[in-house]
Amino acid sequence: MSLCLDTEQLRVLKWRINSRGIAACIGPPGCGKTTTGSALAVKLIAEGIANKVLLVAYTNAAVNEFAWEICNIMGPTAAREYCIRTGNRAGIDCELPVEFSINAEDIRAKKIVLCTTLSLKRLSSYMRFDNMIIDEAGIERLEHLLAPFVLGVNQLNAFQTNDRNCNSINNIIDLASSCGIVATVIGDPKQSRPMGLEDRDRSAIEWALKYSDSDTLRITHRLPDKLSGLVDEFAQYGGLRSSPDIASRRLILDRIPDIAYRDVIQPEEVITWVNIDGEEQPLGPSSWANDSEARACAKICRELKSVTQKSIAIVTRFTEQRRLIRKYLQRMGIIDIKVNTTTGALGTQADIVLFSLVRNNPERIVGAAGTLQDLNVAISRSKEKLIILGSHEMMLNGWSRSPGYSTYGYKSPTRRLAKLIQSKYGKLMDPPLVLCE
Amino acid sequence: MSISVRQLYRGLQKTQTHLVQSAEIATASVCQHLFKLSYPYGVSKGERDYLIANAVHDIMSLAIHGPVTENWLFKTKQFKEITEKIVSDSSSIVENILKESKENATREARTIPETFDQEVRDRFQGLVTGVAKHLMKKFEQPKRVITEITITNPLRHQEGRIDAILEFSNSYGILDWKSYDMKKANGSGNERWQLISNILLSNYRYTRDEDDWSMFRFASIVYHGGAYMPRLPIQEKHIAKIKDNRLFAYRTLCGEKVYAQKPKFCPVCDKNAEGCSDCRFYREDSRMAFAGQLPDNYRKITGQLFGNRYKVLEERAETHRHKHVASTMIEAYGEETAIDELQKYGIIHTGYKFVSADDTMVLFRKDDDETFLEPKKILRIIGKEENIPLLSCVSEQATVMRVEHCDLILNFRSKATVERAKLQLFNLPLIMMRDEINLTRRMLEPLHKFHRLAADVLIRKESYDDLK
Repeated sequence: MSLCLDTEQLRVLKWRINSRGIAACIGPPGCGKTTTGSALAVKLIAEGIANKVLLVAYTNAAVNEFAWEICNIMGPTAAREYCIRTGNRAGIDCELPVEFSINAEDIRAKKIVLCTTLSLKRLSSYMRFDNMIIDEAGIERLEHLLAPFVLGVNQLNAFQTNDRNCNSINNIIDLASSCGIVATVIGDPKQSRPMGLEDRDRSAIEWALKYSDSDTLRITHRLPDKLSGLVDEFAQYGGLRSSPDIASRRLILDRIPDIAYRDVIQPEEVITWVNIDGEEQPLGPSSWANDSEARACAKICRELKSVTQKSIAIVTRFTEQRRLIRKYLQRMGIIDIKVNTTTGALGTQADIVLFSLVRNNPERIVGAAGTLQDLNVAISRSKEKLIILGSHEMMLNGWSRSPGYSTYGYKSPTRRLAKLIQSKYGKLMDPPLVLCE
Repeated sequence: MSISVRQLYRGLQKTQTHLVQSAEIATASVCQHLFKLSYPYGVSKGERDYLIANAVHDIMSLAIHGPVTENWLFKTKQFKEITEKIVSDSSSIVENILKESKENATREARTIPETFDQEVRDRFQGLVTGVAKHLMKKFEQPKRVITEITITNPLRHQEGRIDAILEFSNSYGILDWKSYDMKKANGSGNERWQLISNILLSNYRYTRDEDDWSMFRFASIVYHGGAYMPRLPIQEKHIAKIKDNRLFAYRTLCGEKVYAQKPKFCPVCDKNAEGCSDCRFYREDSRMAFAGQLPDNYRKITGQLFGNRYKVLEERAETHRHKHVASTMIEAYGEETAIDELQKYGIIHTGYKFVSADDTMVLFRKDDDETFLEPKKILRIIGKEENIPLLSCVSEQATVMRVEHCDLILNFRSKATVERAKLQLFNLPLIMMRDEINLTRRMLEPLHKFHRLAADVLIRKESYDDLK
């Protein structure tokens, strides 16, 4: 069993192994939420503290990540013996060395069960888990958080609580804990969207944080120094720092880029903001796109592909922009670059990330593109280089909603991001001619 | 153009775009509390597996296009011979569906009954007997048959799926296959209410007015060896009951406080059937809440759960927003202009033509590569029929798998769906419309379970005993 955890991850592990009830673990980007969750599941089983552990996440990709991490920790043979992946067959990673089944008998025979929240209904209601690890990323409804809890209820505990004084139970988390549910909710309030329809509603992890104990991981193993500094200051984590082995990591290219792209790709600069003043256009029922930015993304990707074999990803807030970028990449014959919306990008990472901002209008209304959670996700996916494409002026003066819309002061968080990059963490540059053609 | 599609979307965000399914209207017509049990409470109706019933439905939906209509003999008394002929002509359809159903069940690790093949064949033969014995006797060979058709009437907030529509020269009849058991259809229960709600939808399909009965000819529930046909004309009080319960269901989904009435006889609670304890629990819960007998912390927790239940229902309404936008645009500007406008915003795609099908994957192609489609999007593929409202035309649901230049590859639910689409959909001009999956029930279930758990833990034992 190979278990390489940092001091903070070990602290969380020790805490959760020795405690019961429901607790929250906050993990900023790259701090190893998946690693810690998987390690906790393995340790609970290995030390005989739990007989059956459920590892659950909202997306299939996140569940597959958990499964891969468990395989890394236990080794494929042990993983095959102790773990099972269940849910929707279409969502599994075919290369996973973990068995897939939706048969109740097969699932009952294994100690660690991996599943998405929406597939939990397939697990028989009489199947009970001693301990649960819930990846909160992407969970935008209370019921998605409660669905795994249902499988951890101990009826005996519930009955005993009924006989004791139950006046102290005032919320669902108390109720769940008093019914013997042991669960660790792992997430990041600065990356999660609110559960309700209003922005002021809490996210699932914030909700868990309010009513339960918590701990925070602060060492990121993904973001180099400049990016961790930017993310820490922008999202106000209060002390996020890079692990020493990756702090000074920089992009290394296989060959020198074309002169037209040299400033954009410049490896020494971790964060580059290409100040493209493209026009936004309303597309689809409620989405936006920016053709200039989409073309520029595709061109930069083509150049990057010719100078490095590092992984590249493109992130944007809008589905129509994602479609437009994919279209241009497809026309250039590039098919192996992932283009994600900020929601889809949760839990993913790449060596080089391009972030297309899209919105640019005279009223300076950034709208949904300017939420802290989305911006935070977008700027924290990169391991070596982040290239932001969009109008700096627009973001520096952005409003989340029209200033006359409400009495609230809706200054967009994009203002802070634009200021931080310009003044401290990155380089702001005008687009080279080749991107404007 | 005074209404823009984007404005309409934004406007509809704040309105209730719920659609009540015919099956839900039928449940509410049996007992309004029973409807509330599903929405908003989220009690699931057990784990019954409809493997056999689904296979029989698939077989009927294909066989009626070919062997059944081809062997249709008006006023025949030789129904046994005709049944045998139809069953024998349908053997390849039966074999294919049996094979596919078993493959799917194995893939999903569902239990296949030992008698699966035999039961499917028996039930199929029973339904064919019902058609040959009762329908062929009374009605001439239909001019056209449509199966598994979804009709949406956004103006009346209703949607339903009809098993089969038989079109005659100037009239139509609707059929409902009773394939989940071999019992006679119950002329007073859920099945009949569902049939009447579906008649309203089909009236809308053919006349654009659910109260225009000029083209309606008959409706029937075909069961094993027979067919139930409600006496015509359908009584006004029955139609009124359907409409009242549709409104009740709609208002309940919208989160309004609607008083639910228990009928003199409820087939669930009065027969101690599945779900009766949950129904009694919620009725008593409401009664105690009204009387102020519930502890404060219990009220606080269940209040939180109710809040989330209505948020889930709002999401359910959102899944129907595309249909409401399309319907409003068509009402305002007429079908042609509205389709053009909707296409500009990527809600509707026209111009795709069927090219080929491989298993459940179907390839479509169009002349240009301008598209808003992306993998994983859910689409409703509508075959535009003349003089029929867009959302009442023949349609099927599929998922986008790949979009490459002018090509579009869609994944249909099953091979039977593809076969059915080949027979009745792909030969029409195709319109692809954005659709969504409704996962409401799955999302409501944990909230129900926690509500019951809160009662178990927080209501004092003596109060709990009172509940019983």
